Amino acid sequence: MLYDRLMEDYRFKEGLNACINCGTCTAICPAAEFYKYDPRIITDTVQSKDEDEIEKLLRSETIWYCGQCMSCITRCPRKNGPGLIIQALRNLSQELGYFIDSEKGRQQLVLNRALCGNILNYGYCVYPRTFHYSDHPENGPVGKWIEDNLDAVHKRVGSNLDGEGPGILRKIPQSDLDELKRIFDVTGATERMEKIETISKKRAKELGLSDEEYCRQIFTINSEEHYI
Amino acid sequence: MTDRVLIIGGGPAGLEAANQLNLLGYKPVIVEKDDTLGGHLAKWDRLFPEGESAETVLYKLIKPVEHTPVYLNTIVEKADKEGNNFRVKLSGGKEEIVSAILVCAGFSLFPAEKKEEYGYGIYNGVITSSDLEKWFKTGKGVNINNPSKVGFVHCVGSRDEKICNRQCSKVCCVTAVKQACEIREKFPDSEVFCFYMDLRMFGRKYEDLYLKAQNKYRVRFIRGRVSEVSEDFTGKVVIKAEDTLSSKPLKVSLDLLVLMTGMISNNSIGEISGILSLNRAEDGFIEPSDSITKMYDSGKEGIFLAGAVTGPKTIPETLSEARASALAIHNYLSNKALQ
Amino acid sequence: MIVEGKKKIWSEYQKDIPDDHYFYVRSCIRQNFFPASEKVFLDIVRDRLGLDFFETPHHTTCGGIAYHSDSIPQETLMTIVARQFALMTEAGYENYVCSCITSFGIYNEIINTWFHYPELEAKIRELLWEASKREFKIPKSVVHASDVIYKLRNKILESGKYRLVNKTTGEPLRVVEHIGCHYSKMFPSKGVGGAEYPYVLTGMAEAWGGTVIDYPERRHCCGFGFRQYLVQANRGYSLSNTHKKFESMAPFKPDMIITNCPGCPYFLDRWQYVIEELEGKTYGADSKGIPVFTYEEVAGLVLGYDPWDLGLQMHQTAVEPLLDKIGITYNKEDKYKI
Repeated sequence: MLYDRLMEDYRFKEGLNACINCGTCTAICPAAEFYKYDPRIITDTVQSKDEDEIEKLLRSETIWYCGQCMSCITRCPRKNGPGLIIQALRNLSQELGYFIDSEKGRQQLVLNRALCGNILNYGYCVYPRTFHYSDHPENGPVGKWIEDNLDAVHKRVGSNLDGEGPGILRKIPQSDLDELKRIFDVTGATERMEKIETISKKRAKELGLSDEEYCRQIFTINSEEHYI
Repeated sequence: MTDRVLIIGGGPAGLEAANQLNLLGYKPVIVEKDDTLGGHLAKWDRLFPEGESAETVLYKLIKPVEHTPVYLNTIVEKADKEGNNFRVKLSGGKEEIVSAILVCAGFSLFPAEKKEEYGYGIYNGVITSSDLEKWFKTGKGVNINNPSKVGFVHCVGSRDEKICNRQCSKVCCVTAVKQACEIREKFPDSEVFCFYMDLRMFGRKYEDLYLKAQNKYRVRFIRGRVSEVSEDFTGKVVIKAEDTLSSKPLKVSLDLLVLMTGMISNNSIGEISGILSLNRAEDGFIEPSDSITKMYDSGKEGIFLAGAVTGPKTIPETLSEARASALAIHNYLSNKALQ
Repeated sequence: MIVEGKKKIWSEYQKDIPDDHYFYVRSCIRQNFFPASEKVFLDIVRDRLGLDFFETPHHTTCGGIAYHSDSIPQETLMTIVARQFALMTEAGYENYVCSCITSFGIYNEIINTWFHYPELEAKIRELLWEASKREFKIPKSVVHASDVIYKLRNKILESGKYRLVNKTTGEPLRVVEHIGCHYSKMFPSKGVGGAEYPYVLTGMAEAWGGTVIDYPERRHCCGFGFRQYLVQANRGYSLSNTHKKFESMAPFKPDMIITNCPGCPYFLDRWQYVIEELEGKTYGADSKGIPVFTYEEVAGLVLGYDPWDLGLQMHQTAVEPLLDKIGITYNKEDKYKI
């Protein structure tokens, strides 16, 4: 039962108390204003325990709209946490491979590669040598200048970029990275990454796209159907 | 045995019970912590559902008991059971020997500033339902100057686990509808919005008032709990809510926002239940021995209950309970006398 | 607005911020985009005030961005954090201070979850042992680095060279304070001033001479949204939310924005540039943009640091209008000197 699977997630246990459909969460939700998104309805749907509806959610675009600001938690008069429920839904959607059925869900491949790659290779979630101006033009001319002069700029402001010892953006020793890898292995992150890879590669193959083309597509394509 | 009964609290319950006990031949004594009788009723302007004057109602309750002894500005400090009687020590050094005690300690209104996101005491345009009622009655307290848009927020401090008040305060829904109509009467050009979760129009003629609010006064009812209040550059109050019936987040600018603060248990209930060893429920109100057939019974011999001390109630309900308690006291004292 | 009402709420949310002896952990985003801020922070607490802030080269990301982008399971996050706690325990510290707000929220969430579900804590201890043969104690105190600067705000003022005051008019500068969502929205009691009227940045801005603006979208998220920014296709969400905040604050004519989360200044800074490029609209009274700062940068300016030592040349929205308003001396030619 999908509901029971969700209940195994501590975030779901914490996040779902009992919803009275008052809309306090939706009223201040940053996603609700731009996307076809209503955290109240999601909370009400999961508390209905309707298996078909929950499966629809797990395969939907909807669960990927939340920005995880957790503003809903502050306000709910019943101590629910729609933002936590979303985490449990996204987790299960990936576990079951349903993420592949939605445009927004498919994006997990690029997120996984970028973030888990940075963590395992460098020990950071964001790392300057893998952060490319071409993917982030909002950084403007200053961003371009920083990228073009990365080492010198960081040296100028006191970073220890890729240096030994402590400090800003220091090189994290290999022994520590090895520990992170073992943590990934024993806690299910490695398995998760492999699952996303396998399912995504199958999809790319079906579409006749190369890995690069597929990634480019999920990173950039945004259909209008998401908006109000 | 004596024929004296101590009534703790001089609000509607205490006044009506005193009247009935007088009629039954007992000698009630009222102890009131404030300097006037009437409780919250004395501060109110008009009553739902038909706009009856609170002053007239209060007069009807006070007039029959004008010769009943009253201790104002007084609280009970100690009560010891001595045989069939209680020796009650009052503040100010007074003492009373009575054979029964009736607890009518009432309620408090939820302190709206505790619901921080509504900005009461911070944003100028945010007031409470009792501020508005005081303004209706006296024109004093808050500054209301021909508002063009007015909002009412239901369930402020009620039905809210976050601020630890789970109970429904019952009377606020219909009070909001009443006050919304009154605002429209006073300011015919104004637009009025009620933000509610459920409209609990349980009493006779309440639904009529709701219908009138919609048909005659064009009050707009929006099903959604207000999530956040702020103030814009011009000093208007900005509220965010979801219109849950159309699943749309809303942002509305208002000149005045009225918070419908709920009825909650208060310190007086805490103190008196400590002194008399009464049971309090999770919500802070006193737990009667049987909440269906014996609302008046505290479970402690010789001690009785009436009114909002056992939870939110309307005035007619409170008055009925006061009469029931008076009768229960009469039965108790008659039985004791026979023994 | 009635300030007394806010003061009453502030008085109810006082958190315990230890005086000294901290285990310090860095922020991924701050190191990438506002690296000098962490340098200035340690300069202030260690070199100027002689306090003990220990950093081990072995600490890593907490994994928070990956967690909130749903790329790592909860157990993975918890075990990475448990490892950080183990490093603290091994170094002999009990007070934990982090530079990142996402991390701060995560530490509070994890400690709270373990309190309610001790079996989960036990499981994480086993997983950490399996992965790294480490053991840990839960910190006695977890604070954010902005809590520390808040606590030291008057000391900073005492040795300060500049105030947040307009040199020409003598008026206090008009400051927008923007608090990272995960600072206190999930656990209001963990933030100075609570969730609705946080005082951590207001306290700094007021102590240093500024006046704080309360605008309708003050509590709204900057728009990071994790996956909503990291994936290019979703960035409309991020930009729209920042835009909404700027539209709401603009009538109040702010001189500057101060932030405590490492991500927020990035978005409030970069998206201003994008709004200008897309719509030709520039915010700020003089249409030069509203400069956005980390709290460390503002502390550094008050203390008289050279703006380019503070890394202000790494901002896209120019900071010079603000420097000129205060009367801070700086060398124009040195800005991009590397």
